[in-house]
Amino acid sequence: MGQLGQILQQLGINGTLLLSQIVNFFIVMFILRMLLYKPVLGMLEKRKERIAQSMKDVERASAAAGEAEQEKAGILDGARREAQEIRAQAARDTEKIAQEIRSRADAEATAIRMKGQADAEAQVQTILTDAKKQIADLAIAATEQLLGRELQNRAEQERFVNEYLAQQSGSGK
Amino acid sequence: MNRIQNLVQRIQNYLRQPRNAITISVVVILFVAGFLIKTPPPHISLVAEPLLEGGSSWLTNSMLTTILVDIVILILALWTRATIKMIPSGFSHVVEIMLEALYNLTQSVAGKRARDFFPWAATIFILVLVSNYSGLIPGVGSILVVQEAGGHAAVMESSAKPRILGGELVMANGAIISMSGVRSEAQQEEGHVASVPLFRAPSADLNMSLALGLSTMLMAQVWGVRQLGLKYFKKFFQFKRSGMGVIMGMAGLLELISEFTKIISFTFRLFGNIFAGEVLLLVMAFLFAFILPMPFYALELFVGFIQSLVFMMLAVVFFTVATLSHSGDHH
Repeated sequence: MGQLGQILQQLGINGTLLLSQIVNFFIVMFILRMLLYKPVLGMLEKRKERIAQSMKDVERASAAAGEAEQEKAGILDGARREAQEIRAQAARDTEKIAQEIRSRADAEATAIRMKGQADAEAQVQTILTDAKKQIADLAIAATEQLLGRELQNRAEQERFVNEYLAQQSGSGK
Repeated sequence: MNRIQNLVQRIQNYLRQPRNAITISVVVILFVAGFLIKTPPPHISLVAEPLLEGGSSWLTNSMLTTILVDIVILILALWTRATIKMIPSGFSHVVEIMLEALYNLTQSVAGKRARDFFPWAATIFILVLVSNYSGLIPGVGSILVVQEAGGHAAVMESSAKPRILGGELVMANGAIISMSGVRSEAQQEEGHVASVPLFRAPSADLNMSLALGLSTMLMAQVWGVRQLGLKYFKKFFQFKRSGMGVIMGMAGLLELISEFTKIISFTFRLFGNIFAGEVLLLVMAFLFAFILPMPFYALELFVGFIQSLVFMMLAVVFFTVATLSHSGDHH
């Protein structure tokens, strides 16, 4: 045992120094644990979490952006379709209005023509009546002259002429 | 002939640049000075020596350096703690990268137990690394403290009497000077005069490496008991009445012995590497003061790193092995 002690002494191993080195090691470990390991590992952990969170956020944001893009496309598509519809409707409406105007103009023209026809007819009728009257007068005068006699009864005379005229107009057509 | 002329031309062109010329001339001057300056024989001691003769024996040069190493580690830790930010940058980021690498290394061996083992592994690594590198700082091992017979020590100064010192490098008012040939006279005049290096790398002191080895192996037993309960000790005492029993008993005995062997191998691996490295550097400086030690310096930087890594990795491996259920799985 004494020999071992001597060897240890020759190697410089000394109880006090050994113990102080062990204590030193534990103190350093304690201090580093408080000052270095806990904050650094905690920070590494926190940073890892933060990065994971950021990645998730980015993913979510990009998904939302895609969705918005899709929505935008949908809205645009709808708008385009609507515009087309409105245009088609407008075209249809125009066509209808034009048709209406045309038909109304047609009707008006027809009415005007009809009226003109009727007027003309009435005029013809008047003229004809006049002419008949004159003809009758002339005929009477001519007959008077021709017959050389005057009917005694004026009223009877007129009745006779009218009868004759009615007969004429009836076969005149 | 033409080729030689070409070479001369190229060398001349190279030297025409002032920077190259200065570098080359400094190297040449140092090389010549290496022959002219007689380096004193290095002070080599296996043990850490007390700084105060007759005073307290615990204040050895390695203990003083241990305290300085602790202070350096503390400052680095505080600095990191103060500058640590969510967005990594600067010094704290470097420390973070280092610690993360250590953590991943621990995890690759210990798996789920990495969280428990990490403070041990990291502390061993940092403490051993800084201790190893403390021995490489110029002045450690070469600045000597003079012990006078009167019992008090004094750092050699230019005003102090030259009789005190032997042929060692001495720091005098900021300049390292060499004093040779005085020692023998001094020793003849006064028997008690001796000089001791002011600093000594803690890992070049057996007390430190033994302390680490003891703590590590003791802690391995603690982890084992914590994980497996009293069953842990079964692996040392496997006595059974059968043919295999004898072999298993022997194996258990070997296991028991190996726990102590591990302490010794831990201790002397670290101590041997670092102490040998310092002796190597001193001897190289003694053989040829300039340029020659440079490659060995690089080598010692590498060795210092590797030894701290090895110590840490072995500690983690021993911890992990201790927590694994040993006996019972075989049968």
